[in-house]
Amino acid sequence: MIIFQFLFLLFSLFAIGAVIQRKKDSAMSSIGTAFWMVFWILADVVVFLPQSVTVFANHLGIGRGTDLVTYVSFALIFFVLFRLHVKLHEIERDITTIVRKDALKQTISNKQ
Amino acid sequence: MFLAIVPAYNESKRVGSVVRSLLLHVDTVLVVDDGSTDDTAEIAWQAGATVLTHRLNRGQGAALETGHVYARRVGAEYILHFDADGQFSVDDILPALSLLKHAQVDIIFGSRYKDSRSNVPWTKKYLLRPIGKLVDRMFGGLKLSDAHNGFRLFNKNALHTLSLTHSGMAHASEIPALVKKHGLRYMEVPVSVMYHEYGQGIGGGIRVVRDLLLGKFSK
Repeated sequence: MIIFQFLFLLFSLFAIGAVIQRKKDSAMSSIGTAFWMVFWILADVVVFLPQSVTVFANHLGIGRGTDLVTYVSFALIFFVLFRLHVKLHEIERDITTIVRKDALKQTISNKQ
Repeated sequence: MFLAIVPAYNESKRVGSVVRSLLLHVDTVLVVDDGSTDDTAEIAWQAGATVLTHRLNRGQGAALETGHVYARRVGAEYILHFDADGQFSVDDILPALSLLKHAQVDIIFGSRYKDSRSNVPWTKKYLLRPIGKLVDRMFGGLKLSDAHNGFRLFNKNALHTLSLTHSGMAHASEIPALVKKHGLRYMEVPVSVMYHEYGQGIGGGIRVVRDLLLGKFSK
């Protein structure tokens, strides 16, 4: 086992532990828990058996496994960034709603 | 009741004179102080406006919708959107109101491009305006000569039909889109705009597109 594989295994075990803990704390949905468990297990498979990705990549018409991992990673990162932007937009709206309710409660009466 | 809604952010220099001149033409002036750090709210109140204060700066669209909620509560029959920086002319109000009442329309949009009174910077006129029109068309808006003009009049029907969700400047594209969606009747009238500062540039335009896009995917 090379050093990178050992460190990655340690990190993925830590990540899986964190996922399980969040599920126990009811801070993560069942679908979310399943997604992240499968994600980290697949990541371990890729790190320990790099040839498996190359075989899969070849089926998709991509020459190298690392290229496939790069493409999928970029797609995932952009998707997560987009979801975060949408979530932020929704939080901004919620803040506006609260600020509006507060403003309407405290109307400064005019002299008219 | 004819209510003028004036969204204001750090406009202490001009908001007082704007409120005083508006009170000669409308029944009530509502200044929505959008989290100003200067004494905009105090000056507006002293000038005779009713004042609502956002504790945080939320953007012009948010301030206008706060004004709409207030206008619905007090039973306003007509409302006017009017900027706090003194760039509009109060002389345009009564002709527009008269048209709103007699031309069987629900909303009046002011336009800088219907006559030659406005001193519009050429970059806005020939660069930003075509892009703005294209963006509005993409997001389902109306074919307006000047969609991003803050001078608007609503009747009661429009006030109760339109509810703005965009806090920032994207509301200027959202309003025409909602007018089209709800089949409201509208008209454009020439208004005079005198620029004291440049206002929204290309960066603001990019933020509008971003907000409109994100709005399509939000709850």
